[in-house]
Amino acid sequence: MSTVTKSAPSPDGSASSGFTIKQIRQGIAILLAAGGLLLTLLNGMNLAYLLIGAWVGLSIWKPYHGILVFYSLISIYPVLRVISIALRPSDSLLSRSLDIIPANATLNNIVALFQEEAFLLWIWNSFVITVSVSIMGVIIAATGAYAFSRWRFPGRRPALIFLLTTQMIPAGMLLVPIFVIVAQLNLSNSIIGLMLAYTTTAVPFSIWILKGYYDTIPVDLEEAAMVDGCNRLEAFWKVILPLSTPALSIVFLFNFLAAWSEYLVARVILQAGAVRTWPLGLADLIAQFDTDWGKYAAGSVFVTIPVLILFVWQSKYLISGLTLGSVKG
Amino acid sequence: MESISGLTADTIGATLSQVIPLLIGVSIGIVVLEVSLYYFLTRVIKTKHALAYTLLSPAVVALVLFLIYPLIFNVILAFSDLKRNTFVCYSPVARGRECELDHLYGLDYAINNFTQVFFRVRDGEIQRDADGNLVWGRLLRTADSTFPVLFGRTVVWTGVNVIFHFLGGLALALIMNQKIRFRGIYRSLIVIPWAIPTVIVGLTWRQEFHADYGFVNQVLTSLGMTKVNWLSEELPAFIAVIFVNVWLGIPFYMVMLLGGLQSIPAEYYEASQMDGANAWQRFKAITIPLLRPILIPAITLDVIWTFNQLNVVYLVTRGGPSEKTNILVSALYNAAFGESATQELGFAAAFSIVIFLILFVFAVVWITTSGGLKEVYDR
Repeated sequence: MSTVTKSAPSPDGSASSGFTIKQIRQGIAILLAAGGLLLTLLNGMNLAYLLIGAWVGLSIWKPYHGILVFYSLISIYPVLRVISIALRPSDSLLSRSLDIIPANATLNNIVALFQEEAFLLWIWNSFVITVSVSIMGVIIAATGAYAFSRWRFPGRRPALIFLLTTQMIPAGMLLVPIFVIVAQLNLSNSIIGLMLAYTTTAVPFSIWILKGYYDTIPVDLEEAAMVDGCNRLEAFWKVILPLSTPALSIVFLFNFLAAWSEYLVARVILQAGAVRTWPLGLADLIAQFDTDWGKYAAGSVFVTIPVLILFVWQSKYLISGLTLGSVKG
Repeated sequence: MESISGLTADTIGATLSQVIPLLIGVSIGIVVLEVSLYYFLTRVIKTKHALAYTLLSPAVVALVLFLIYPLIFNVILAFSDLKRNTFVCYSPVARGRECELDHLYGLDYAINNFTQVFFRVRDGEIQRDADGNLVWGRLLRTADSTFPVLFGRTVVWTGVNVIFHFLGGLALALIMNQKIRFRGIYRSLIVIPWAIPTVIVGLTWRQEFHADYGFVNQVLTSLGMTKVNWLSEELPAFIAVIFVNVWLGIPFYMVMLLGGLQSIPAEYYEASQMDGANAWQRFKAITIPLLRPILIPAITLDVIWTFNQLNVVYLVTRGGPSEKTNILVSALYNAAFGESATQELGFAAAFSIVIFLILFVFAVVWITTSGGLKEVYDR
């Protein structure tokens, strides 16, 4: 199909020899969209017909965009769903409607969440833990990764392989001993234990990503700085760290996301329920016998939106930060 | 005391009085550690790698205290008979109280714990069936949750997930690598599943697979198909968990592979086009070989992560219905901490070591045969 389009004359100067393939596809697309609009009007404003018609049309006109639009919808649909459940009035929480903005949208669920549950306290606990863990993780990993990248010291290879091996440790292999240690030390329900556990699990992957990124920065840059009178640490601080912003922000983001939404370790360490992070609080809302989908959904929106904004804002760094390390040269 | 949704001046103060001393303590600790270590390494040992070891030391200390020590303790626990009713014996707080064990750690416990992972053991005796053959032991409650069943399911789970992650991610990356409008917007939308907290992903999809109220069945019925009882039948439940995990994993591959595709110089394609290579030949001869340095580490990590993917399985199905969607790691979690738990932590420790060894052997074989991680440490 694509070769035909390519061999056709340029889009605007083709009128002499009838329609080009491109124009035919465009025409079909417009017809389908119009058909969808007609069905929508005939069926009491059911927008599904218009959407399906327009999407099939788009797929015929520009197949790539058709696929990408479809996949983007699958990606964001659950988010839209949660927003929609959060806005539903309490008598239709289990409605079968597929609308995004429900009929009689209300903010009652959000009010109930803040008034009846200790939601802000959960957020506060999670926030303190997450920020501390992300900062500690980046500081520890940034210098460690630099050592791996620039020196060939004895023990370097086994250490790197060990860091890879930590990724193979099943969660249960750490949870069982941590559970026993925490119980023996009487540290249950303390956020300190949680913070230390999170930081440690974040460090190996952070070192891996950062080391890969430092490797792509030529050593000449530091040597030039050292000729200008910097010592090694100053060269690291003034040259390497500023150049590594993409990787550092990726690492910060990963550690932030991992700690922000961690559930299973928190469930084991904070057993008594006196101190809670938001994943525990929200999960309990729907684990009880009277599952409260409204409050759960409202809470989900509140915890997800800030993270989404942070993530999308940083997404241009995602590609360079993750892959530069693994591509040679 | 004024309280806004549980937040009072007292609760804020309580958290900060725990966290701030910790952060200050850690910072001072790092400085003291690094300065004294650097002094020691340069003046006493006189190694030329003094700065390297100094920069590494905080990571080493953190990993030893909070990773290596628990791992060693886990091995020790596999030599114990720790379970709910013997917890008093192992807790120092409870020393002096009644304890029914005559010894806390021993090889007999270890043999018992490790045998129990595979075979049926009762009162320290290995059980046999009528023909004298060994019987696979139950890891959870149902007769179905034996080691070979769980292992087989884990292999299927990992294989299916990784194949779909790879194909989906590659297809999207190839499309996104074209000159296409709105690329930035598409990229932002496609990475969204990655950004949503896993708890919310798991619990929300669990609701969406609800037979009556979930949108999956609503879409199926509106297309004229019959409803599926997603979470109460074995195969649909397994498909549902795999779907969620595929949905979660595709963005990672897309991002990695798109980065790789963008680093391939366009001249290669132009040159081969002049030599008359068609699209498939170009893909086979240029794209795949040049993506290899990214693909092999990505697949290695993905296999490991998927094999260990406890969150998705636990949150979407809890391993149910009737323990039929458990993979090894979720069976382990359920055995140690789940509601229907045996809560035999000594046995759980042994079980976790077995799971780790399986993955470790696989990884060693895979990495040495594919040579894929060479560039990571050979540089």
